[in-house]
Amino acid sequence: MKKLLVTMLLVAATAATAHAGLKVVGKGDAMRLDSSNFPPAMKANYEIMRVKCVKCHTMERTIVAIQTGVAPISGQPFDRNATKAYGIKMLRKPDSNMSKAEVKASVDLMNYLLSEAEK
Amino acid sequence: MFLKKNTVAVMFLLGITCAPLLAPGTASAIPAFSRQHKTECSTCHTIYPELNEFGDAFLKNGYVYPHKKDGAGAKAAEPGNEWSIISGLPQQIPLSLTASADLAYDEDAADGNKLDLSTRSVTLQAGGSFRDMFGFFATYNLYSQGMQRASALANPANNTNVPPSNDPDLDELFLVWRQALGSPVNAKVGRFEPKLSLWKKSNRILPVPSYASTTYRVGASPFSSDATEDGVELNALLGNRVFVAGGVVDRNGQDREDGYGHISLKIGGTDFKGQEPEVDLEKDSLWDYLSVTLGAFGYWGQNGEFDANGVAQNLNNFRRIGAEADILYQRLHLKGSGSFGRDSNPVFGFFKAPVDSKAYTLEAEYYLGAPVNLVPLFRYEYLNAGDGTIKRLTPAIAYAPLQNVRMSVEYTHSIAPEGTGNIAFASIAFSM
Repeated sequence: MKKLLVTMLLVAATAATAHAGLKVVGKGDAMRLDSSNFPPAMKANYEIMRVKCVKCHTMERTIVAIQTGVAPISGQPFDRNATKAYGIKMLRKPDSNMSKAEVKASVDLMNYLLSEAEK
Repeated sequence: MFLKKNTVAVMFLLGITCAPLLAPGTASAIPAFSRQHKTECSTCHTIYPELNEFGDAFLKNGYVYPHKKDGAGAKAAEPGNEWSIISGLPQQIPLSLTASADLAYDEDAADGNKLDLSTRSVTLQAGGSFRDMFGFFATYNLYSQGMQRASALANPANNTNVPPSNDPDLDELFLVWRQALGSPVNAKVGRFEPKLSLWKKSNRILPVPSYASTTYRVGASPFSSDATEDGVELNALLGNRVFVAGGVVDRNGQDREDGYGHISLKIGGTDFKGQEPEVDLEKDSLWDYLSVTLGAFGYWGQNGEFDANGVAQNLNNFRRIGAEADILYQRLHLKGSGSFGRDSNPVFGFFKAPVDSKAYTLEAEYYLGAPVNLVPLFRYEYLNAGDGTIKRLTPAIAYAPLQNVRMSVEYTHSIAPEGTGNIAFASIAFSM
């Protein structure tokens, strides 16, 4: 009973800190988004992001930026202007291996996630 | 036949000419920055120590993260960090270490030791900022073996302002007053590499050898464009895409100061403030991936041979004029550098014998991997420092299994008036 209570409290605390609009699975380096409720187009975009972005950084970095509205390293606001700027940065990075279509898909997804996070 | 008969003389001459090119490199960005900003090396580097566009913006911004909201002060204001913002102290000790071990194979080694595994170095670095008002950077060569060092020169103080009795192993130590007194001008003071070239001598995939165009010396003069010197420099961004710098350098044994200036212009790509260009994600354009940086510099100075009282005499007035270009298109990176010089008395003789010099370097790199972890490159160098033409062809490959570990293999074919030489060079370096 005591264990159950502690578990419930931990779950409640986690839920309170997580953003209401985004369903997150796992934590730390293993953090992922639950895309089961995404529209089909965004599900496809998420597959691109899930494969391409983690080559160089964790998904946690992107998710935290969307949840908090602040880019974790630069401390800059993470809004729609920022998503495009980061997209262009990744497009132009010689080593990103991302095409323009993939970058656009990722930017569209981040903008969608920002909208969802605001709800 | 000629080469065999004159192997010792050829290698001696090549060694003298190339010695300054084998000085150990120093890193311009270091793990201390990675720890401070909690970001990976590839934020600022391709394969370290070469900087990417953002790393260059970080450097020009006086070691403060570009666009950082309220800079380091924002973090310092967090509960428990008040001491840091009040005192101006970094929250972590900003120290790093870089070490390297090299293996050289020289088929014409003068001492018969063709395979040499005796070159290694350890360098201590420090860098960071004080409340974003001052940036600082230091490089101290803790140990090096088998490398031609500035301290090994007969008259190292000639090039710096260090008293001859001191070992000038402190390669860099400077403070940058960022946007001094609310102006757009940054003031740098201390020992540093005067801003002449587009790239610091450490800003290379292959720091050893350095570019002939910026590291060559003439006669007995210890001056090279990329030598660290004691001075004061003012630099500033004009808009987002023009960078200007100018400074004076103090030199021992004489009252006259050296002077220099630099200007660079960047077209396309990330600007000097680290801002991405506007790109239409619906349409393709050549400029989505292309950036061209053009630079020019000039240096005017005077040095001489010290007499018993440490006074420079038999003075040599010299100048260097240079032009450079840096072109980045997707994974292809091209660098070109040319320098012209004139020395009025480079051998410090009683009778002056002026020497004109010129040197060019062309390098092509191709980035592979995500992040970049494999770079094949080719370098061509031409040097005429008054004693004949030397050409060097260097194919090489660099590999970074981790972002803080770099392995490289290079082969240099040298063509000099006295003959040809072939040297294979392998290096492993790490930073922590």
